[in-house]
Amino acid sequence: MHPLYGTTAVAGIGMRQYRRGASPLPEQGVLVEAILAACADADLDPAEVDGFVSYGDDRNEPVRLMPALGTRELKWSSVVWGGGGGGIAGAFGLAAAAILSGQARAVIVFRALVEGSSGRLSAAVMAHHLNDHMLAAGIVAPAQVCAIRANRMYEHHGVPKSVAEDLVRASYYHGARNPEAVAYGDDLDVEGFRDARWIAEPFRLFDCSRENDGAAAFLMVSAERARDLKKAPAYLLGCANGAEKGWGDLLENDDAVLYPTAGFRSIARRLYAETGLSPADIDVVQLYENFSAQGVASLIDHGFCTYENVAEVVRFDNLIAPSGKLPINTGGGNFAQGFIHGIGTAYEAVKQLRGESSNPVPDAKICLLAGGPGAPTVSSAIFANEIP
Amino acid sequence: MDVIDGADAPYWNGLVEGRLMLPRCGGCGDWLWPAVSRCGKCGSEAIEWTARAMAGTIFSWTRTWHRFGFTESLDLPFVSIVATVDDCGIRLLGRLDDPDRIDPVMGETITGRVGATRVENRDIPTIIWSRG
Repeated sequence: MHPLYGTTAVAGIGMRQYRRGASPLPEQGVLVEAILAACADADLDPAEVDGFVSYGDDRNEPVRLMPALGTRELKWSSVVWGGGGGGIAGAFGLAAAAILSGQARAVIVFRALVEGSSGRLSAAVMAHHLNDHMLAAGIVAPAQVCAIRANRMYEHHGVPKSVAEDLVRASYYHGARNPEAVAYGDDLDVEGFRDARWIAEPFRLFDCSRENDGAAAFLMVSAERARDLKKAPAYLLGCANGAEKGWGDLLENDDAVLYPTAGFRSIARRLYAETGLSPADIDVVQLYENFSAQGVASLIDHGFCTYENVAEVVRFDNLIAPSGKLPINTGGGNFAQGFIHGIGTAYEAVKQLRGESSNPVPDAKICLLAGGPGAPTVSSAIFANEIP
Repeated sequence: MDVIDGADAPYWNGLVEGRLMLPRCGGCGDWLWPAVSRCGKCGSEAIEWTARAMAGTIFSWTRTWHRFGFTESLDLPFVSIVATVDDCGIRLLGRLDDPDRIDPVMGETITGRVGATRVENRDIPTIIWSRG
């Protein structure tokens, strides 16, 4: 069995989320609140946390959190490389690596984003990636980078554009029923979706995730220790992070077969091989959708459908809890739950496995966290509430 | 991000002179893009910069309608493309003339000329592609 399989777990979660620009505290203050909430959730003394992991160029270096948290000793302080949300699931793998190798015992995985402190996320992500080749072409935003790939998927590979609407509607359906979601109470107005202003073709406004202020934190410990803490463990069964040859930061010169994908083919291959699981074993998916088409591409990469049958699988009725066979984004996802660089998708993964979701999937045991799609380095993870 | 710096400096300097220069491995002949200092396939460090015609096909595209920062010099909407350059297969980011707002077609034949894109206080040399 792979060393990651069921050997660590998320024992506590905490999230604070506000509308963009509306955070009552600076970024570090919001983050500390989220970490304290995660520790309280597990009933673990925050001073005992000895490791931290983040991703996506988070600006809160863990050593600076020590005074507010009362940290006794910092033993593990690391990030997953990459400017986009590709590293979100990999962050849990990194935390597990620290715990399993004895380098830390209680590790917080976090992401914090407050516009007043760090500016717009889209600008920060692009600052990581921008070069003169992109600037000269007028390509300066994640929406445009993903739009070019999306057009290739739609036009060259024959994916019907209608699937994007079903995906977005499913996220909104769940978000409208989740009191913690920014879209709580608001189902997607389908006419408004279709008539919304263009951003970068093929994306209109509601094909794009929109940023929120906030932070979320996850307390990870060994599986054994998690069983002694207050809440039921969400076990990590597997995690894969990286890029295969022909995918990455290649100035659009990715392998032609990989070009329209979300970058997860090698990730999904490894994740399923190392856990012994397959798409059929996944009860629910928390799907990082920065843009609608990339969410669709991620589902294809992870083996839930193909270019040929995508319209049969990515259907609104099939994507919603409790009745759909492939429930996705049961908290509302980045579109409707909120977007703090995707960290809300991991939050909902744990809530769903604990039975705390506002949109429970009956008897859900295994949840895939599909990380930020289309990034040069991507990652995904599988969590479960029991070890199969 | 200085135009004359980095492994792709001959590309930018070529555009300034009105030519499209692209790198090829002196060992195995593979075209190498993004520009690199070593061919990962054969290990050769002999990089041969070679002139190519500004002729190619459309690989993919987007038409931008939202005013993003750094695009202030471009009239909205504008079309950005990924162009496959003939006789080498390298794909380049560029802009496509879009006078009649006709959606580009993947595989469509295009020819390029050297223009520039104003970003803040710099003019970045740019291949502006047109149909036919």
